Amino acid sequence: MFRSIFAAALALGFAATSALAAEWTYTDGSGNTITLDHVPTRIVMHANTAAGLIPLGIRPVGIYVDAPVAEDKSLQGLDLTGIEIVGEGWGEIDIERVAALKPDLVLAEWWPLQKAFSGLEGGAGTTSEKIVQIAPVTGPTQGASILQLISDYETLAASLGADLSASGITADKAAFEASLAGFKAAVAAKPNLTVLPVWAGTDALYVAATEGSSELRDFASWGLKLMTPEVAGDRGYWETLSWEQADKYQPDLLIVDNRSDATMETAEAQPMWTAMKAAAAGQVADWPAFWLRNYRAYAGALDELTAAIEAADENLTN
Amino acid sequence: MNVNVQFTPATTVAVARHRLRSRHRLVSAGLALLVLALEAVALTIGDYPLPVAEVVTSLLSPFTGVTDPASDFIVLGVRLPRAITGLLAGAALGLSGVIFQTVLRNPLASPDIVGITTGASSAAVVAIIVFHATGLTIAISATGGAVLIAALIYALSWRGGVTPYRLVLVGIGMAAIAAAITSYLFTRARIFEVQQALAWLTGSLNGASFDNLGPLALGLLVLGPVAAILYRPLASLELGDDAAKALGTRVEVTRLGTLLVAVVLAAFATATVGPIAFVAFAAGPVARRLLGPAGNALLPSALVGAAVTISADLIAQHALGRNQLPAGVVTGAIGALFLIYLLAAANRSGRGG
Amino acid sequence: MMLAAGQRSTRVPARAGGLLLLGVALVVVLFFSITVGARPIALGDVLAAITAPDPDSTTHRIILELRLPRTLVGLLVGAALGLAGAILQGATRNPLADPGLLGIQSGATLCVVLGISVFGITTLSGYVWLAFLGAGIAAVAVYLIASMGREGATPVKLALAGAAVTAALGSITSAILITSVETLDQIRFWQVGALTGRTMDILAQVAPFLLLGIALALTTGRILDGLAMGDDVARGLGQRVQLNRAFAGLAAVILAGAAVAAAGPIAFVGLTIPHVARAMAGPNYRWILPYSMLLGPILLLGADIIGRVIVPPGELQVGIVTAAIGAPFFIAFVRRRKLAEL
Repeated sequence: MFRSIFAAALALGFAATSALAAEWTYTDGSGNTITLDHVPTRIVMHANTAAGLIPLGIRPVGIYVDAPVAEDKSLQGLDLTGIEIVGEGWGEIDIERVAALKPDLVLAEWWPLQKAFSGLEGGAGTTSEKIVQIAPVTGPTQGASILQLISDYETLAASLGADLSASGITADKAAFEASLAGFKAAVAAKPNLTVLPVWAGTDALYVAATEGSSELRDFASWGLKLMTPEVAGDRGYWETLSWEQADKYQPDLLIVDNRSDATMETAEAQPMWTAMKAAAAGQVADWPAFWLRNYRAYAGALDELTAAIEAADENLTN
Repeated sequence: MNVNVQFTPATTVAVARHRLRSRHRLVSAGLALLVLALEAVALTIGDYPLPVAEVVTSLLSPFTGVTDPASDFIVLGVRLPRAITGLLAGAALGLSGVIFQTVLRNPLASPDIVGITTGASSAAVVAIIVFHATGLTIAISATGGAVLIAALIYALSWRGGVTPYRLVLVGIGMAAIAAAITSYLFTRARIFEVQQALAWLTGSLNGASFDNLGPLALGLLVLGPVAAILYRPLASLELGDDAAKALGTRVEVTRLGTLLVAVVLAAFATATVGPIAFVAFAAGPVARRLLGPAGNALLPSALVGAAVTISADLIAQHALGRNQLPAGVVTGAIGALFLIYLLAAANRSGRGG
Repeated sequence: MMLAAGQRSTRVPARAGGLLLLGVALVVVLFFSITVGARPIALGDVLAAITAPDPDSTTHRIILELRLPRTLVGLLVGAALGLAGAILQGATRNPLADPGLLGIQSGATLCVVLGISVFGITTLSGYVWLAFLGAGIAAVAVYLIASMGREGATPVKLALAGAAVTAALGSITSAILITSVETLDQIRFWQVGALTGRTMDILAQVAPFLLLGIALALTTGRILDGLAMGDDVARGLGQRVQLNRAFAGLAAVILAGAAVAAAGPIAFVGLTIPHVARAMAGPNYRWILPYSMLLGPILLLGADIIGRVIVPPGELQVGIVTAAIGAPFFIAFVRRRKLAEL
């Protein structure tokens, strides 16, 4: 009798554990739904996705980057020990190295305009076809807000087994909330402050359209008065201004694309940079363009902007 | 024993011809062996650790039915298509280059300089940056661009006939226009599109697959023999239009025919792997140096082109540690070094340019 | 070239007259280069900027700090490119020769790319010396390679060696650009060739070399005429062919190197201008050179002016416009003219 009870208990035990071995599903912006029979543990990620997930506790086994790791702003400050870099140039993912890692899943952001995942656009030969044969590819959608993207990463991380209530993560989020509050207060205190986001080249000054950048849209939604360019060529991302026309827009505060240090140096080397009163008065700050993916980085960027806003004279150009 | 051999002019010519033919056979065979050896290396080395025995098993698996999904994917799905693509693209480019140089009677002439590959590249960049095209669409655009620019060059150089001189000059002009279009788009696009375009423009075999090889393989299969047939009239063109006509060659037809072959080969190769620099340019001169003073350089050029492309891809993949580069980056360096070496070697023995 | 006794006296005035006309055309172009731009500025303002500059006035700053240096750089670079192209076509007897032939532009580009990626140099004035250095090294390398062997640097060997070095350097450049997005982002603008952003201190850096090169170039007329007859004939007439070719090459490298250093690689000017000059002035290099010297800036500045007004409120880089104008013109030219093979 005990043996049958024991056997029944064992059987129940097995049944219980196999019920706990849950499936994992994810539906992405391309319309695909990926289903795996276990929660993936060996994941290869694009650099931006790694920047989103590593602070949330999900570590990939491999990362592919569009540029050398040292140049990728989203990966700055992250601990990448033990992670294999499987590609450091656009379109040059080492397929064999990815296969050798035996991943369950490949994660990258979905870009609706390009209809492709980061780094796997069809232009890279048919690398994407090969990668898909190794493991399914999916990921969150690049959209109208960095905050939303970070939130999507939180959902994804949770489904992958992250503990979002861990102290490090909650501390980061709290710090971000504090920074955001400070930012909103500073913006509210200076209702006349106008801001212009730019990229500077030797050939022209490029003025960014708010609609083209997720973090600019976030800033606008929090009250920042961003000047919008009149004529935005390139599908609405930039207006190109000859340096002779550099004073077309006169903001109180200039924010400059900070993906590369060279941009600010180039700007300052142009004689007409100071034709903008904000530049002449030193009211220039960094614009964290297109690379923010986690709370810590966002908090830091917001703090810098807050300081610049507080120091700026909102009536410089009236 | 005293052998009294009469050295009549006929005998001398026959002996010389025999020597040339043997040299041609020797060079071709040697190059073919080199290509095979390189292919073997390409199949056995890689970042995914696979012993040679498993590579062989995977290669034979379509026949023996003994499969191993993991190693089959690597060997048959990644390495083999890449190796074959390198072979075919290199051969097509080498053949195209030597035809251009022969028809246009100028060692500087190659599909790259005369605007064919530039036209293909421009069309591809337009597709990538303006239309956000991917994969097959880019390839089609590239082919279309090459053929369009070739047609324009030919039409614009036609004044009662086409002289090589005019063709080359017009080609350079068209190449400059195409390059300007590319440069302009580079300055207007967002940086990741520029990266995309640059990656394509550098010519890469990464992600090569059998699905894309159809046009290129078919092109070589059909046009290779056509080029061989056209060889004799082609060679007579080198003597100059008048001499060629005296020998019975139909000059304009031959020129148009061979150029068409060369353009299509270059177009298909470029459409498949992007514009791999310098292979078309260097293959002809290298083959001619190996062959000596005369000889049909078509097959040797194709083999040299294949050898350069495959070895460049191997170096690009494995020689730089963690970083993997596109093959086009290395073909330029290898092809150039090889050509410089041969220039120097030939120069020292007095057989200069 | 056999001239009848009376012929010479009628040709020189005609050619001198042509030169004078070109000079006038150049002055006109210079005038437009200062008065026309992306921002419409009244003529009175322009004059005031030059005679009584007001440091606070934006329009005066545009004239003095943007348009004036740009015009001067365009003038010198145009002259340099035209002359370099003429010299190279004459010295190599190849109508395809242009300043890019001796690896000059690819050498300059590679050095600039190395400067950006390895040393983090990001300003145009930083690029100037790098470009010059790279141009010089590449040209020397090409010359040395082509000189190996008994015959020395024949035109064909120069062309082949130049193409080989260009391809090799281009490969290395691509390798660096593929692996460094930041460098790519910088270089893609420089690589097109532009006169924007060229300030007075850049002008001051390159002007001495450009002027030196122009002076040297104008003395090479006799050498080039000699080389044009073919190496054997020239030697038979007592000319020291190798030395002459080297000297001419040196002048071309200084010119082309400084031009690339100042404005980036602008490919088309050096190729087309000598052909136009030859059509206007005849085959004598003592006339082709000064004609090239005047035609170059007319094309370059003309293209620059067009680029300033064609896509308001932005600008189109001069390297793109010279190709867009120059290439079709060149093609039409090739079709119409009976070009003698050199």
